[in-house]
Amino acid sequence: MEAGGMIKLTVNGTMYERAVEPRMLLADFLRHELGLTGTHVGCEQGVCGACTVILNGDSVRSCLCFAVQVDGGRIETVESLGTVDNLDPLQAAFQEHHALQCGFCTPGMLMTGVDLLRKYPLATDQEIREGLSGNLCRCTGYENVVKAIRSAVEAGYGD
Amino acid sequence: MKPPAFEYLAPVSLEAAVAALSNEDAKVLAGGQSLVPMMNFRLLAPSLLVDISRIPDLAYITEDGDGLRIGAMTRHHAVEMSDVVRQRFPVLHAAMAHVAHLAIRNRGTIGGSLCHGDPAAEWPGLVLLLNAQLKTTKRTIPAGDFYHGALATDLADDEILIEIQFPGLAPGTGWGFEEMARRSGDFALAAVAATICLSDDRATEVRIVVIGAHATPLRLTAAEGLLTDHVSIGAAADAAMQEISPDSDLHASADYRRHLVGVLTKRALAAAWKRAA
Amino acid sequence: MEIDARPKMIGARVQRLEDPRLLAGQGRFIDDLNLPRMLHIAFVRSDHAHARILEIDSADAAAKPGVAAIFTAPDIAGLWNPIRATSRMADYHATELPVLAHDKVRYVGEAVVAVVAENRYLAEDAAEQIMVSYEPLGDAIDAIANAKADAPLLHDDAGTNVLAARTFHRGDVDAALAEASVRVSGNFRMHRKTPTAMENRGYVADYDPGRRALTLHSTTQIPGIVRDALVEMLDIPGNRLRVVAPDVGGGFGGKGALYPEEVLVCIIARQLGRPVKWLSDRLEDLMTTNQAFDEHVAAELACDGEGHILGLRAEVIGDVGAYSVYPWTAAIEPVQVVSFLPGPYRVPNYLGRVRAVATSKTPTGAYRGVGRPISTFVMERLMDMAAAKLSLDPLEMRRRNMVQADEFPYKTASGIVWDRAGFMECLDKVASSYESLRRDQTAARAQGRWVGIGLASYAELTGLGSRIAVAPGMPVNTGTETATVRIDSTGAVSAYFGIASQGQGLETTLAQVVAEELGVRVEDVDVIQGDSAAVAHGTGTYASRSTVLAGGAAINAARAVREHVIKAAAHIFEADEGDVDAADGQVFVKGTDRGMSFRELARAVYSEMGRLPKDIRENIELEATRMYDPYFGTTTPASHLAVVEVDPETYQVTVQNYVVAEDCGRVINPLIVDGQVHGGVAQGIGAALMEEVVHDGAGQIQTASLMDYVVPTAAEIPAMQVHHLETVLPDNPGGFRGMGEGGTIGAPAAIANAITDALAPMGIDINELPITPERLFRLIDGK
Repeated sequence: MEAGGMIKLTVNGTMYERAVEPRMLLADFLRHELGLTGTHVGCEQGVCGACTVILNGDSVRSCLCFAVQVDGGRIETVESLGTVDNLDPLQAAFQEHHALQCGFCTPGMLMTGVDLLRKYPLATDQEIREGLSGNLCRCTGYENVVKAIRSAVEAGYGD
Repeated sequence: MKPPAFEYLAPVSLEAAVAALSNEDAKVLAGGQSLVPMMNFRLLAPSLLVDISRIPDLAYITEDGDGLRIGAMTRHHAVEMSDVVRQRFPVLHAAMAHVAHLAIRNRGTIGGSLCHGDPAAEWPGLVLLLNAQLKTTKRTIPAGDFYHGALATDLADDEILIEIQFPGLAPGTGWGFEEMARRSGDFALAAVAATICLSDDRATEVRIVVIGAHATPLRLTAAEGLLTDHVSIGAAADAAMQEISPDSDLHASADYRRHLVGVLTKRALAAAWKRAA
Repeated sequence: MEIDARPKMIGARVQRLEDPRLLAGQGRFIDDLNLPRMLHIAFVRSDHAHARILEIDSADAAAKPGVAAIFTAPDIAGLWNPIRATSRMADYHATELPVLAHDKVRYVGEAVVAVVAENRYLAEDAAEQIMVSYEPLGDAIDAIANAKADAPLLHDDAGTNVLAARTFHRGDVDAALAEASVRVSGNFRMHRKTPTAMENRGYVADYDPGRRALTLHSTTQIPGIVRDALVEMLDIPGNRLRVVAPDVGGGFGGKGALYPEEVLVCIIARQLGRPVKWLSDRLEDLMTTNQAFDEHVAAELACDGEGHILGLRAEVIGDVGAYSVYPWTAAIEPVQVVSFLPGPYRVPNYLGRVRAVATSKTPTGAYRGVGRPISTFVMERLMDMAAAKLSLDPLEMRRRNMVQADEFPYKTASGIVWDRAGFMECLDKVASSYESLRRDQTAARAQGRWVGIGLASYAELTGLGSRIAVAPGMPVNTGTETATVRIDSTGAVSAYFGIASQGQGLETTLAQVVAEELGVRVEDVDVIQGDSAAVAHGTGTYASRSTVLAGGAAINAARAVREHVIKAAAHIFEADEGDVDAADGQVFVKGTDRGMSFRELARAVYSEMGRLPKDIRENIELEATRMYDPYFGTTTPASHLAVVEVDPETYQVTVQNYVVAEDCGRVINPLIVDGQVHGGVAQGIGAALMEEVVHDGAGQIQTASLMDYVVPTAAEIPAMQVHHLETVLPDNPGGFRGMGEGGTIGAPAAIANAITDALAPMGIDINELPITPERLFRLIDGK
């Protein structure tokens, strides 16, 4: 594929075909090309976790991925979880436990949470904390994020 | 921080990938977890990226006698979740928990980490510990010959790492893996990994490797030589401290790294001893 | 329908109204805003700390694809009026505030050239082609050296690098020290921090040439201040200049000052006739967002034989970076270090002297706690040091010196007046677990574990009114806020404010306040905030003021509207006003089933011709604007308790437990108040253990990424217990106290004391933060 090549990918169940420059980051593609601005960019270094999306079933940093690399792939962003009028159970748990303040890290927290809940037993809160340690938050002190994930574990989310 | 422009190829065969790499300014793109941040910072500006993720049959974990062969494109998370890795090389399983975070592990590859060659990363030390052979498109290199310095490997520009071969460990081999980082998932300030075989309460096969306290991962052969009975762990740890040439950086001084290596060697050896049968 | 009991929204754990959109990824943050024909900026920034600009060569850059324009200082010279952060403080020197560096650069990261292009990728490509040559000037990186008379000057027109100096005193501290039986002292050092909000700063300027009107979309905490400043700087009248903050991803003070990039996007948008966006990347954020906490404190505490404080003396140097920030001035943090140093204690003799010294670093601004984290760190360490010398338990040391209930109002040694608040009550509350924690510690020590317990008590002033200026003669009025409450023709309720939310939940808490006073449901109130056009005057959110000031104005405005709701309804029901009530979105005659919704009432008042007689209708105002000035401030005290464990070999510190007890007056929403404490404590733990902006000797910033400037993750922060005590309610309409900053104020001190306690057998004092494993290694191994 050369500069200006076409890629095809499924995002939140919808198929898109677009021409992209190879260097366009997946995060920028999702946000500016597809208008899915729920995924946020905080560092472009893979450290803060705000850009986390799910690619072919696995959580990944969309800032460390070029859109061209995911040609043929299946992506789920935060917009796939729920809507303003119909939050999914994990989102509802975040709201109930006040697990967000400014909301900037929240989409990344949610998508990481989705993957953690599917892949790990999260038997202890320390395991939740370690699982979340790749998602930085400056507002909540993590206290309520852990509580929200704990309640999701107990409710069987991701089973 | 946006990356500079480059051309992109995603070949579907190793031959095509090697041919593409004959371009002077080309780099292999595997998981991208080390490469892309550097490009976003514009610390690296290759004119061509050769994405090898479309080449079939490069991601696998296969039994090979008592050992394993792992394809270079195997993601860290696959290694982390593999039952056969956990059974045959529990030290690998334990180390995977320290590799960054889940999102990085889902994407990053064993081959990518080895070829990037950060001395504070886990994989370069682990292949040295386990006496692995690194098979490329041209040859097979012992892990001990693979690193020349920090971020510097023996690979030619048009050579691609395709498989890592781990010979089986002797039955009853004990292992230890001790890492100190500033935060969960950060690069190691220092880490020590060890395997020990015991016979009549004395160490027979000993391998000790240090991570993050030297320009490359380093086998601590002097420390290995000193390990006899359990009491000698202290002396081995002291020797370990003298074998390394750690750097000072923002996070830790050479003195503190050296101190850590002493502590972590002692702990890794004690854990390995306890696990040895 | 009978409705008797009014539902209570104040104090309820109301789920936040802003959450659904933020959770569903439907928030609108600055980078989500895309306007037609919008251009993007990338900067060329100085890589010298202190240098004269010799030449800028941008010819190659101008030819790069997608480049619309390139600007340097001369290119914008006639297009804006410079501004300074003025103050009537004696011994204060304002500095210029360049938008692009003109003759010299004064810190690594200072913006020199702006490249404007079709997108950020292309702008960065072009920026790479620009060559700037410099002539290095004198080394001005070190605050202590810069305070000396012969140091190279960062600002020639100031004639000194000491931008501000202030002294507070009471009594005769020399005599007190001389006669004291116990004296403890230390050289305390808190290293530089950066707020590190998860969203980087960003601005979009949209100039409408037809209306000659400018809208600046900004991640600002202070839309009113920015608007008022831009009016002067751009010669655009206030009715054609609007500053609006979208959803903002955290501020903590770092987004609470006027920034050069903020001004520049306006200049360029007007010049080019196209919208212009600049988004900071993380590297720029770590280099250019206002930093803080960089203080050197030499302090001494004197007590009698029973541990009663006799005197306190401190000499402080604040490293305030290269410029005096607008509007707060370079003095904002250093002065609070000395004005709050006496803490919540009786200090009969005091001398606190501070100099704010300019250095070739990022300017210092206001970061959560503003001086009080350092003053609390120093005083609480001194208290523990004195307690140790006297073999007194640190808890008892505080009990003996803390201002007691019958001593309020209490004037501190620096002239701050504490009004009655739960000082001792908070201390008693954390003390309730103290005994058992000490027993656990004894058992752990017997096993060879290094476990420590640390206390920190403090008090601060929040919700400041006009009588208390942060700095005299500052160019802004921080003492008032305005609220407008309106019921529109559909019966919908809107409440407009000059404050701005970056996560504090003000859309919900202010809705709770208005709903409570007006008689509607929380979800019926739409809060408009973060917009300079919302009210005639407002400044924004900083200094823990929004609940007290905006909440107070909201109560007053809502009450005024309610009166008119009752008046209108009384006329419609033909009842006495005293028999009419409003609750839960209904207006009704008490004890009857006669009622109507707010919608029906609004229709009657606004839309049904002839429903009300002319003279009644013209005097019904379902909209009221009130300005509130608390005049003084409210006192917010707290006590913190930290339990830490230090690995005796690696020196890694783990915070095992953290307890906070604070008196924040009447709590509007317990969820939100808890959340503020959690977040502040986490930032305080980060400040204590790991966060440090590092410059090398040449002024190059070493902590240029989030791997190097290390903020805590979930794995480094413990579970916390937070207790809210309500003692006497302060004298403001809601009985509120501000509380957002407390976590960073108490945590560094508590952690420092806890680690000192853990290392007590070795007699090591933790007087420098962050106390990284490396620093502990140096202290313990004594190298």
